[in-house]
Order: sequence, then structure tokens, then C-alpha cells
Amino acid sequence: MRTNRTLTVSLIVALTLAVPAVAGARALLIDGSTSVFPLMTQLAAAYHKATKEPTPKVTQGTSDVGVSDAAAGRVDIGDVSRNPEEGDPKGLVFTKIARDGVCMITNPKNPIANLNQQTVQAIFTGNVREWSEVPGAKISGPIDLVDHIASSGTQAAFQDIFLGEALKISPSAEAEESNGLVQNKVKTDEDAIGFVSFAFTSGDNAVGYQGIPCTLQNAKSGQYQGVRNFWMVTKGAPKGAAKKFIEWVTSSKNATARKIIGSEWIAIH
Amino acid sequence: MRRLLGGGAAAAERRMELALRALAVGVLVVIAGIAITVFSKAWPSFAHNGLAWFGGGGDVDTQLHAMIAGPKDPANYVYHFRAWPLIWATILTSGLAVIFGMAISILAAVFVVELAPAPVKRVIDPVIRLLAGVPSVVYGLVGLLAIAPLVEHNLISKQRKQSVEYVVQLTGENLSVATLILTVMIVPIMVAIIAGALESVPAAWTEGSSALGVNRWRTTWRVSLRTVRPAIVAAAVLATARALGEAIMLAMVAGSRGFAPNPLDGLTFFFEPVRPLAATIVHYVEDLNIVPVQQTLYAMAAVLLVSCALLSLGGWAAKQPMKRYGIQA
Repeated sequence: MRTNRTLTVSLIVALTLAVPAVAGARALLIDGSTSVFPLMTQLAAAYHKATKEPTPKVTQGTSDVGVSDAAAGRVDIGDVSRNPEEGDPKGLVFTKIARDGVCMITNPKNPIANLNQQTVQAIFTGNVREWSEVPGAKISGPIDLVDHIASSGTQAAFQDIFLGEALKISPSAEAEESNGLVQNKVKTDEDAIGFVSFAFTSGDNAVGYQGIPCTLQNAKSGQYQGVRNFWMVTKGAPKGAAKKFIEWVTSSKNATARKIIGSEWIAIH
Repeated sequence: MRRLLGGGAAAAERRMELALRALAVGVLVVIAGIAITVFSKAWPSFAHNGLAWFGGGGDVDTQLHAMIAGPKDPANYVYHFRAWPLIWATILTSGLAVIFGMAISILAAVFVVELAPAPVKRVIDPVIRLLAGVPSVVYGLVGLLAIAPLVEHNLISKQRKQSVEYVVQLTGENLSVATLILTVMIVPIMVAIIAGALESVPAAWTEGSSALGVNRWRTTWRVSLRTVRPAIVAAAVLATARALGEAIMLAMVAGSRGFAPNPLDGLTFFFEPVRPLAATIVHYVEDLNIVPVQQTLYAMAAVLLVSCALLSLGGWAAKQPMKRYGIQA
């Protein structure tokens, strides 16, 4: 009985001492867009290596999840791959960290080189449903539209850049939960067309837009128009550990971060 | 001394009994709490749509997107919703899977109990139990990466796709794949329950039947299976409950489209995409912070809760008249 009690007491003491020690070095929690996820995990690992701070824990949902989690204080930073919207909760601060190309993708058996704005709009609104009616298509047959779910930042960005305010993606499109699922869907379905963040184009055919191929180089030079912003969102101005990480990511003197961003995205700082 | 000890033991026993009773009551309170939360949160969605909530009309995904894009002040929330495509999808996937699964698992259970040689039975028994416990997301992954592309490339022709291209797009994720995988998921549970009951049929009954010169197949059919009918009903109820509540697997392989397949389309019907209620909740879970969407999802949860309650009740009622023949299950 006595040993038991001693054990319990020492355990409690150890726990009370351990908790503040852990809290002091708590890893940052980051959540949000699947488009930003590959970039953020690389940045988080490099941040840990460079500063010896604990590696920020990055999970993925969608851009809207990043916004609502940051607003509710469930995470320190939200990843968002669309511009701030009117309906977003008040008091959020958006910090731009990079720019990203949004590519349309088709199956490798249907290697379309280029689509102009008019054709893109006709395809994604469901006005054109046959590949034979699409100039440059290498197959004939029905078009399978692959969309993202409504809370996706890539969807919002695609809507803004390629379709504009008035047009909506046809409701008959199959809506996938993440960039990876869209990539996989287009890879297995030769009739499919979808759109993803540039980092998710491997294995599929990236389609050019308005005569400019969707490559990282063209996105960096500004010729390719399908480019959107990546944001880190905090509740109020970033402070403490979150501020340190965001400053590390956005610092123009930070060659490591610039190199990571430049590998598949566009550095802006 | 003895009395004292006895008193202590009785008190301990009484404490134990009270603790167990408190636990049991606690479980009931939690269940009641869940039901009350779900129904109160779901109420605005039902109240705005009335009975038409259960009806058809329009596209469910367009309606949910309108809620997401709609005004953010409570006075102007958009609630318009017609859930029939989702309910129809739930009925189709669960119903077809349970019908196919029932036929397969009755035959499989008869084989395991009556026909399988001992070494085969020794292997099959644990395998069935293992299959019954496989997490559904594993089935979903296999379906999405292996079966859906197979179906898409081999079973759905371009002509078939073109015939309905202005209505819906046909891909590998569809009603047939969803039903197939759901059937595979629920069969092990049903086989395990039915085989267990078949084993407990009194040997004297089947031996008596054989002694009267009835052949083996007829004995199985008219004596054994007739005896275990309550167990078959119980198996069907459990399997339907699992099929109704299955979300993640169906969200992966059923097509992610709130579409109501039309049986008049002939064979194409089986290749049309569906999205049952539970899978729809998963699909829209990331828009939960939008109040009307949240309330509509709660309404779907309420429908599932009520269906499961009715199912248990129906199973109980169906078993009553069979009780006097058979063994209890």
C-alpha cells in the first residue's frame, strides 16, 4: 500500500513538472489546404533542422477547414490556397507565402497540349460533353469532369481564374476530397479532365492554357495565367512561435525556404 | 465473526450491483443525449422543408452548395433540400447488398456446417471471423484502386457513357461496385451468425428426419434452416444496420454524386453513381462550420437513427411468430 502511494505521488509530481516543460516546447499545429500541404511539410522539416524548434505538425483538410480551425483557435496557423473571401470569420490575418500554378490535367492517353478560355469554360460548365468537340483532343467519347469538393481552395481558385464570377462547374462533375484523389482519378480514367495544384500533375498530362504550357517556368515568368496565392492564416496578427515560423518562411534572406518554395512553387519574397 | 464477514461480502456485492446499475443507466443517458442532440439540431432543416424533405426535386449537391454559398446571417439561411436521391441510394445499396448477401451467406453457412470436411472447416471458421473484423476503409481502398478501374475499363462502354452523358457521367465508382463491396463486407457477419445457429440445431431433429428417409438436402432445407430462421432474421438486421451506417467505404467507391439511379435505364442503372446518406455526411463534413449545412447533415443523421431503430423493431417483430418452432438466437 505504502509503495503504491509513493509511486502515485511521484508520478503526479513527475507529470506536473513535465507538463510545463512540454508546453514550453509545444509544436505548432497547422491545418488546411491539401494544395499547400506538400510545401508546408517540407518547410516544417527544414524549419526544425535550421532552428531546432520542434517540427510544426501539419495536417490536411481543405482551405475552408484551415480558415475555420484558425478562427476557432484549434490550430496556430491555417493553410489556405484561395484568396480571402467575404464570408470568412472576422479578425483573421492572411499572410501570403507563395504562389502556385493550377494546372488542368487529362489522362496520358489524351495528351491535349492546350485549351483556350472559351473551351475550358464550355467543358467545365457542361456545355461541351464530347471530346470530339474539343480542339486538340486525342480521343473521342464523353468527357468525365472531375471537380473538388465545395470547401476546396483549389476549386475556389479555379473558379476565379478560369471560369469567372458568372459561371459554375457543372453539378454532374464527380467531386473529390483532395488533390491526390483528383490526380488518381484522372490517371485511371482516360475520359477524365480535372484540375490540381502544380505539385500534383505527375502521372497525368498537364494541359496548357491560352497557348502557354502549364510548367513551373512559365508560371514563374508570369506568362501562364492560372496562378493563385498560398496563404498562412492566423487569428489576429501572428505572435510567439507562429510569428517566428511565418517570419522564417517569408524572410527574403532565408535561402533554404526560398529553395524549397522555388522547387515546385513560386517564391514571392 | 462469520456474520461480520458475511455482512461485508453482502455490502461489497451490493456496491458492485449499484455500480453496474449506474453504468447501465449511464449508457442509456448517453444514448438519449445523442438522440436529443441530433433531433434538436436537425429540426430547422425538417421545419423549413416539411415532408418534402424526403421527396425528390432538383439536385442535392446544387442545394447543398447553395447553402454553403448562401447568406451568413441566421434570418436568411438557405435550407431548401430534397433528400430523395440520397435516401434512394441508401435503400438501393443496403437493400441489394443484404439480398445478395443473404443468399450467399445462407448457402455458405450450410456448406460450413453440414458439408465442409473437418480440415476445411478448421481454416474457414477463423477466416470468416477475421473477414468480419476488417475495417471498412480497407475495403474502400481496394474498391477504389483495384475494382473501380476494372469495372470502368471492362464493363462500361463508350456508347453506354454517351447514352446518358447529358444526365450523369458513368465512371468506375458506381452502384454496382458499391453494392459488390458492401456485400463482401456484410457476408462474413451473416455467415458467422447463421453458422453458429445451424451448429446448435439439436442433432436428434436432423437424425430423426434422416431416419424417416428424407435426404440430406431436404433435411437441411426443411429442418435445419427452418429451425434457425430467427438467427437468419437477426443476421439480416445486423447486416442491414452495418450497411446503412457504412460511410467511408461508400464515400470512396459509390461515385460521390447525389444522383438517383433510374431502374428504367436498364443495365446502365447499375453503373450510375450514388451517394447514400452516411457517405454524404462524410462528403460534406468539411463544411460543418456552415450552420444550415450542419443542420441538414444532422437531419440525415436523424433519418439514419430512426431507420436503425425501426430496423431493430422490425427484426424483433419478425422473429416473434418463428419462436415457437426454433431455437433462440
